[in-house]
Amino acid sequence: MRAKWRAGLLAVSLGLAGILAGCNSDKAGSSDNKSKEEQVTLDIFQFKVEFKDQFETVAKAYEEENKNMKINITTVGGGEDYGAALRSKFSSGNEPAIYNIGGPQDVADWEKKLADLSDSAAAKAALKGTLDGVTVDGKVLGVPYNQEGYGLIYNKNVFEKAGIDPASITDFASLEAAVKELDSQKGELGLEAVFALPGKETWVTGLHLSNAFLAPEFDNNVLTAFDSKSVEFKYSDAFKKVLDLQNDYSVQPTVSLDYSKQVEELFSLQKVAMIQQGNWVYGSIAGIDEEFANNGIGMLPIPVEGYKGDHIPVGIPMYWGVNSNADEAVVKEAKKFLDWLYTSDKGKETVLNDFKFIPAYEGYDSTKISDPLSKAVYEYAEKGKTIGWTFMGYPTGWGQDELGVQIQKYLSDKASWEEVVDATKKAWEDARK
Amino acid sequence: MRTRDLAYWLFLMPVLAAFIFVVVAPFLLGIYYSFTDWNGIETKGFVGFDHYIALFQDKRFLDSLWFTTKFSVVSVILINFIGLSLALLVTAKLKTSKVLRTVFFMPNLIGGLILGFIWQFIFTKAFAGFGAMFGIESLQGWLSTSSTGFWGLVIVMSWQMAGYIMVIYIAYLEGVSKELIEAAEMDGANAFQRFRYVVFPLVAPAFTVSMFLTLSNSFKLYDQNLSLTGGGPYESTQMVAMEIFNTAFGRYDMGYAQAKAVVFFVIVAVIALVQVYINKKREVEM
Repeated sequence: MRAKWRAGLLAVSLGLAGILAGCNSDKAGSSDNKSKEEQVTLDIFQFKVEFKDQFETVAKAYEEENKNMKINITTVGGGEDYGAALRSKFSSGNEPAIYNIGGPQDVADWEKKLADLSDSAAAKAALKGTLDGVTVDGKVLGVPYNQEGYGLIYNKNVFEKAGIDPASITDFASLEAAVKELDSQKGELGLEAVFALPGKETWVTGLHLSNAFLAPEFDNNVLTAFDSKSVEFKYSDAFKKVLDLQNDYSVQPTVSLDYSKQVEELFSLQKVAMIQQGNWVYGSIAGIDEEFANNGIGMLPIPVEGYKGDHIPVGIPMYWGVNSNADEAVVKEAKKFLDWLYTSDKGKETVLNDFKFIPAYEGYDSTKISDPLSKAVYEYAEKGKTIGWTFMGYPTGWGQDELGVQIQKYLSDKASWEEVVDATKKAWEDARK
Repeated sequence: MRTRDLAYWLFLMPVLAAFIFVVVAPFLLGIYYSFTDWNGIETKGFVGFDHYIALFQDKRFLDSLWFTTKFSVVSVILINFIGLSLALLVTAKLKTSKVLRTVFFMPNLIGGLILGFIWQFIFTKAFAGFGAMFGIESLQGWLSTSSTGFWGLVIVMSWQMAGYIMVIYIAYLEGVSKELIEAAEMDGANAFQRFRYVVFPLVAPAFTVSMFLTLSNSFKLYDQNLSLTGGGPYESTQMVAMEIFNTAFGRYDMGYAQAKAVVFFVIVAVIALVQVYINKKREVEM
């Protein structure tokens, strides 16, 4: 009996100890300094799953070089909701020192918790225009990750067999002709359809596709979009044409077609000739068919009739922000780390070779970009044939929950194009009242 | 009650603390947030009852509420019907009844998300393949229209929950005394009459429990909804829980979402209480 009682007491005290230990976990990237000499802990909370392992390796290397540093990286992304996770992280009081912000809306939301990075080397090296979205009153509140671009990714082999020269596709008419040609031969080419349009993914239709046609009316500037009280749909017809083309020649039903079916099942297994996606799909394709990923794919522009036919949208997916609530020493070290990552020789090399990023900074040897899609994006950027990314400046939720959903309605024949345009115009105005 | 000793409270404390921290406190905090324009980062100010007024004109919210109601009515009826049928089947003298119980209960062990993805495959691939083989046009393109999405959800929910409900019915069916049934048989009641007038009233408490479970589970459904249709196409199969989540984390309108959640809580509570009250009245004592 006595033994049992003791065991019970032990269990309870262990439990309490556990709870207390839990409460006692360390605070927001604080430096447990004073006792040890300038030991600084950097908590990084980031969203890019694709380069998680490489990033952790680099952090280790940095720790080796700087003995007083301890870097903790937490990654939430790739289907997980980073924005939601970041909010809970801050609510829990466990604030990270470095975190990611998307665009003007995020900057407006987080402004009080973002340190000024204007004087950092990374901000100075950032390519012209890339900092527009994160600059408030002359203060730079974030530095870019990398550049990304999207367009129509096509299957080179299929194009060759069908006798189509991808270089000849420079406007909507030539694209349409090529699609019709491919469609007429799809039996011999072993295709299920020409396109795979993932109508289920509202970010593909509502954010990416729409951006190509809305960016021009906002002068390709994310801040213009962010400040705009209304949206005009100036290139509405061109938008409809490209959407219709993708839908009419797509594997059906498009409204329930998702990203993995589009990229992994249909495109990587060469059952469709073209998909609208960006350079980030390289990894997925390489995971299935490395040979095809390295030698069989290329990127075509999304033609905006009446504006520019041979441009692709290129932009900055996310920015690094530094938490201004953190201790001064932590902020300083955080800036130093970002500078090292993007401007030191070792950092540059990693960014290019290990992360496989398209750099958004000056002073890189771009010939070393290895995968064909990133290369294509970089080449478009070099020639200046780009359309800006303005969808980060849409009202919160507008692109996906309003436009993307309306497009699903349109694809299901439950709404006409005019209704789509009218409904989303109104939603924009309501959101910006 | 007053004479409970220290040990009683010591052992109750962890549960009580957990309950207060995880259920009561967030709930009260949530009610507070529903009166503010909290965006998940900071609270800019009080808005009074604005959110509560707005949500009754919010077409998205009302649509999803209506869809959830339709879904719940159909699911509750179907799940209880199937659950009871299965229970009757496995309590009958069958050689395989033990195996069948396990088989019917199995879906309940699979997590809702996984289940949704498995059934998504079945609906979009297996159904389409089957349809193509036998030339049945209606099996094509499942989950891509709102009606097939609706029935898809109903099928998955019924498939998952029927086995669980079956277990509840089995417990009560096995409690029905053999003498009563025999007596009824002696009096010349046929199989249907025996079920309708003897067994059915005696398992009425099982109805109370299982209807409560199915009703509240159907109303609160989120995981299958997310993995099976994602609310699509065009949000037509979006249920309330998902709509609230999207308001909170899609548009970061957290205060507003919280107001919706409070209203949702009240609706579910009222419906469940009314249902239990009505069911209780119909139960008979042995």
